[in-house]
Amino acid sequence: MQRGTAVADVGPGTAAVKSAPAPGATRPARRRKPTSRGTFGLLLLALPGVVWFVVFAYGPMAGLVVAFKDFNVSEGIFGSPWNGLQNFAYFFSSGDAPRIVINTIFLNALFLAASLGAGLLLAVMLNEIKGHFSRRFGQSVIFFPYFVSPIVISIILQAVLAGVGGRSGMVNNLLDVFDLPQVNWYTQPGAWPWILTIVKVWQLGGYTSVIFLAAITSIPEEVYEAAAIDGASRARMARSVTAPLLLPTMGILIVLGVGRIFFGDFATIYAIVGDNGTLFPTTDVIDTYVFRSLRTVGDFGTTAAIGLFQSVVGFVFVSVAVLVQRRVDKESSIL
Amino acid sequence: MSLIATGRTQTITDLEAETVLGATPPKAPVKSRLPGRRSFEPFTVVSYVCVTIFGLFCLIPLWMILAGSFTDESVLAANGYSFWPAPFSVAAYQLLFTGQSLINGYIASLFITIIGTALSLSCTASLAWVIARRLPRISRPLTVFAYIPMLFTGGLVPLYLLVTQGLNLSNSWFSVILPVMLAPFLIFVAVSFFRQLPEDILDSARIDGAGELRVFFQIVIPLSKPILAVLGLFYAVTYWNEWFMALLFISDPDKFPLQLILQNLISNVTNAASLPGASASQAAAPVYQLRFAMTVMTIAPILFAYPFAQRFFVKGLTLGATKG
Repeated sequence: MQRGTAVADVGPGTAAVKSAPAPGATRPARRRKPTSRGTFGLLLLALPGVVWFVVFAYGPMAGLVVAFKDFNVSEGIFGSPWNGLQNFAYFFSSGDAPRIVINTIFLNALFLAASLGAGLLLAVMLNEIKGHFSRRFGQSVIFFPYFVSPIVISIILQAVLAGVGGRSGMVNNLLDVFDLPQVNWYTQPGAWPWILTIVKVWQLGGYTSVIFLAAITSIPEEVYEAAAIDGASRARMARSVTAPLLLPTMGILIVLGVGRIFFGDFATIYAIVGDNGTLFPTTDVIDTYVFRSLRTVGDFGTTAAIGLFQSVVGFVFVSVAVLVQRRVDKESSIL
Repeated sequence: MSLIATGRTQTITDLEAETVLGATPPKAPVKSRLPGRRSFEPFTVVSYVCVTIFGLFCLIPLWMILAGSFTDESVLAANGYSFWPAPFSVAAYQLLFTGQSLINGYIASLFITIIGTALSLSCTASLAWVIARRLPRISRPLTVFAYIPMLFTGGLVPLYLLVTQGLNLSNSWFSVILPVMLAPFLIFVAVSFFRQLPEDILDSARIDGAGELRVFFQIVIPLSKPILAVLGLFYAVTYWNEWFMALLFISDPDKFPLQLILQNLISNVTNAASLPGASASQAAAPVYQLRFAMTVMTIAPILFAYPFAQRFFVKGLTLGATKG
């Protein structure tokens, strides 16, 4: 969702890729042109950032050639012999590919729908709360989980689902009250997509609602006054005024979320599931799979091949999302 | 113009907030969205209830951890969790503070957070200014240069090889800082802020003979404190919560940041017994209580900073919303 700003700004930039950077150009700019000494100073300013991008963003891209190599440490990335598409063939023939791809897309779609839905509802309801202080307080409270690290979430979840020493846990205590049988959650793969979704709502519900709330505050007051004159109740206004006017924001967030759909939320899932193999059928996503095979198998070639596959498909998704977003929404008030 | 205006409004609303906070009974809203209508409609009531429930849903897990960290291990094992620590026990904290682990973890996490945020902020601001400056033939290629990594990444394996073999950063805290140092998105947030700075002020400085660097350091930076605060907070929280890079690159337990220490406690409960140091009797160490206490110590700094920082985050998120 945050990418919007960047996307909007980058707009016409693509056309200029080919022009080589050279100081002292003559094209008239809106801003005052610097002297050649000034340009040098500015280039100096940009230097650390540029170096970082070359090393840590573009360097690894070049390193992706590992995907086409039979990598061994002693010969390094560029010394190792080529082996064509064998790494890819190995991955796609292993039988894991469909499972982790489906998991990634399914889980991300679930997370996206749940957190957007919860965020929208919360924003509309927060908007009903009057009084500057109480609204701000409510917002602060529901926003906080966004800052809780995945590791802490994992510890909380163990306390809730497994309790101390694998005994009971809050949910099981609750089941006891209703005379229901206890469940050993950490051995139930079927339940985990939904558990993770609840975790995501906990984590992102407040965050998303802040974005929606900002969009709500930009809705002109007159619209509500007109609705009030027509005799609409608050509920009716929320349904027939606020919700439809939030659709563009919703649209952008959906598009951006779909753009990221191929990148699993590694941190949260790995912190929670870890190396618990029982849960892999429903929770193993591309990122966790890559990390695990890097750690346990140590096969850099195959792992890089999966990474490249993910990057390429992800790139397609993101690009389409960016194009759609730019077409749909040229001058949105938010993002 | 807009900059000064927003600055003013912010202060006023803050004052309002304090006034409301100071007054004992919550005042009736001065201006309702609906003039001339009573406010207690069913939907409003439902909203209050739902938001309260969600708020509790957000807070209760954290409270359970806090209560658990003060509950005696034997009670934890027998009764599970309670909302109030029945036999109040600070055993876990005593162990934590006598051992070296917690202190080492804090040193590592603080180093990563402070040094990392400083590096991130300075690089982000300076690169963003050069992009925002709209230099012919420089700014646009730079924009694209910083934008491409948002679309396409090299992935884990090349990064791993780069850090461990190319740069030999294993077991250095910089291996946690450097890979996540710049966030392209935040660079563009800074760019869009810089572009809103009033050109007249910058021009007047230039007429007075200030060079480009001087304009940046003495005019742009002081004018951009709000956005720098937002960026700094985003980076700081990222660094504080970062554990994946540490997991990949740091293997020396003395150099573990807090998050990694915690992660070790999850993956292996018996690790908790060795946490306070060799002197503690291993059998008697309250492992679960320790784990909770460690969690509390990890979120505590965020919790303390939160009331001050929260409004910046909200502002940062809604930065684009107040154009014009």
